Amino acid sequence: MHLKSRTRQYALYTMLAPYLLGTLLLVIVPTLIAVGLAFTTYDGFSAPTWTGLDNFVFIGQYNAFLYAVRNTVGFIVLAVPLRLLAMLALALLLRARRRGGNLYRVAVYLPTIIPDIAYALLWTWIFNPVFGPVNIILPALGLPAPAWMVNRNTTGIILLIMSLFQVGEGFVVLLAALADIPAAYSDSAALDGATSWQIFRYITFPLLRPWLALLTFRDIVVGSQAIFTPAFIMMGGERAYAAWFLPQMLYEEAFGRFRFGVASAVMVVWLLTAGLLLALAYRVVRGWGYADDLL
Amino acid sequence: MLTISSSNPSYSRSASPRRWLLRHLLPAALAFLFCLPLLWLMVSSLREPGQQPSASLQGWPNPPSWSNYVSIFQQFPIGQPLLNSILVVVFAVPATLITTSWAGLAMAHLSPRPRRALVMLTVLLMIIPLPALWLPRFVLYTAVGLNDSLLSLILPALMGTSPFFVLLFYWTFHRLPRELFEAAQLDGATYAQLWRFVALPLAKPTLAVVSVLAFTLYWSDYISPLMYLRTESLYTYSLRLQMFTQQSATVQPLAMAATIVAIVPVVGLFLLVQRYFWPEGRRSSTER
Repeated sequence: MHLKSRTRQYALYTMLAPYLLGTLLLVIVPTLIAVGLAFTTYDGFSAPTWTGLDNFVFIGQYNAFLYAVRNTVGFIVLAVPLRLLAMLALALLLRARRRGGNLYRVAVYLPTIIPDIAYALLWTWIFNPVFGPVNIILPALGLPAPAWMVNRNTTGIILLIMSLFQVGEGFVVLLAALADIPAAYSDSAALDGATSWQIFRYITFPLLRPWLALLTFRDIVVGSQAIFTPAFIMMGGERAYAAWFLPQMLYEEAFGRFRFGVASAVMVVWLLTAGLLLALAYRVVRGWGYADDLL
Repeated sequence: MLTISSSNPSYSRSASPRRWLLRHLLPAALAFLFCLPLLWLMVSSLREPGQQPSASLQGWPNPPSWSNYVSIFQQFPIGQPLLNSILVVVFAVPATLITTSWAGLAMAHLSPRPRRALVMLTVLLMIIPLPALWLPRFVLYTAVGLNDSLLSLILPALMGTSPFFVLLFYWTFHRLPRELFEAAQLDGATYAQLWRFVALPLAKPTLAVVSVLAFTLYWSDYISPLMYLRTESLYTYSLRLQMFTQQSATVQPLAMAATIVAIVPVVGLFLLVQRYFWPEGRRSSTER
């Protein structure tokens, strides 16, 4: 029996091996490389030289980095609450099973699976200042037709609209969470005369809260990286760095200027921020007593 | 689930205008809104190329220029990139399915302590910002000579592509009754056999969902080829598409047709398995 359970453990860890090995090679080793390079000057060709904390001192006063942080945080602060609201509203609206099948849900999810580059190209044409449909419709309504992609703020509006169409993942998660709420809860509340707002406010919303919290934290992380492709395509890389977002700035620093040390310092700061966010998320969700359900 | 119909009792109630608005008009309007960009793309891809786009909105082109979809292959070097993308997907998606379903099954059968640690690790991996890995992976690939190869694009399959996929399989297998596996083990089945003949057949919805999501990730991947590929003959379709950012207005219909080519495989696959994305579809086939 003892031998049998040993071979059992052995088999289980064999099945885990590819995943653990892959994670070691593609996440843990690269993270260690980034941490190491952050303390050096390195251009990818000659050997790295140790420069201590110089890179961190440098990015503390480096405008391209500070602007990128400002733009990224600004975008997240605006986009994440709106995206969450959209996910929730759509899930509540489309939770009921309809005779028309899943047609509406499919339509809502569709923009989410469009390849990044195709999605970015599509929207650059929609907002083309000369022949895009938006600038044909706006003047017809008596509204100004901006040149869109030449200005930081109007580019931000496009990026925001684009991100609001891609809320499928959170939508699916919330649909599943809603389906897990026993219907008896709202049915008995309705019998007692509760309005649909009261049912949402005091039954549905509290039960969705851990999911909403997780989606918020994940959206902050994913949102700050998903912005790369559309921003990169629309700004063409030549745009003044004042409009850059964090992943763009990282890309330029690493693959445009070959300042691997500076880029690594930015990564370390970013990873630490993500780690802090995760710790915060864990504390919040744990405080509600839900953490065990997820494991 | 008997409760689905009772949670939306509107069928039985009298239809007030407000209810009609919420149940029918608003969802339909929103669905249309979400499809609108794609519809516009489709229509634009069928316009006659070579002309300045008109300055007013246009409906379905008459006649639709379906030949655009042939012209793009003659006028632009997109055949090879298409093959490269297919090659990446053909290797990466099955590898992802094996890695993630193995890891998920093993995690579901481990004793509580190591299982908890592994689930925590997987959740932790989900929140690592990917851009923080771009450069160090580049440095690593350069060191081992993997740069500028399609293999560098496939490699993430080794770690299951996304930790989320591992969690999906873990949740699926965790919910299956233990007795199923124990009975087979008493009959002398190895874990490889359990995986193949017990676990996988019961996880079809998860297999379908992970396949489509993994396909989408590799097919759409723009950033990895952008960073790791230098040789043009290795370019994937996503990377090749970027040449259409600097095209004149007259080739716009062709550029749109090329964009549609990138979209069709993912949308097609999604439509095939979409029912597994919704709670009703998952429940009916996993828990029976």
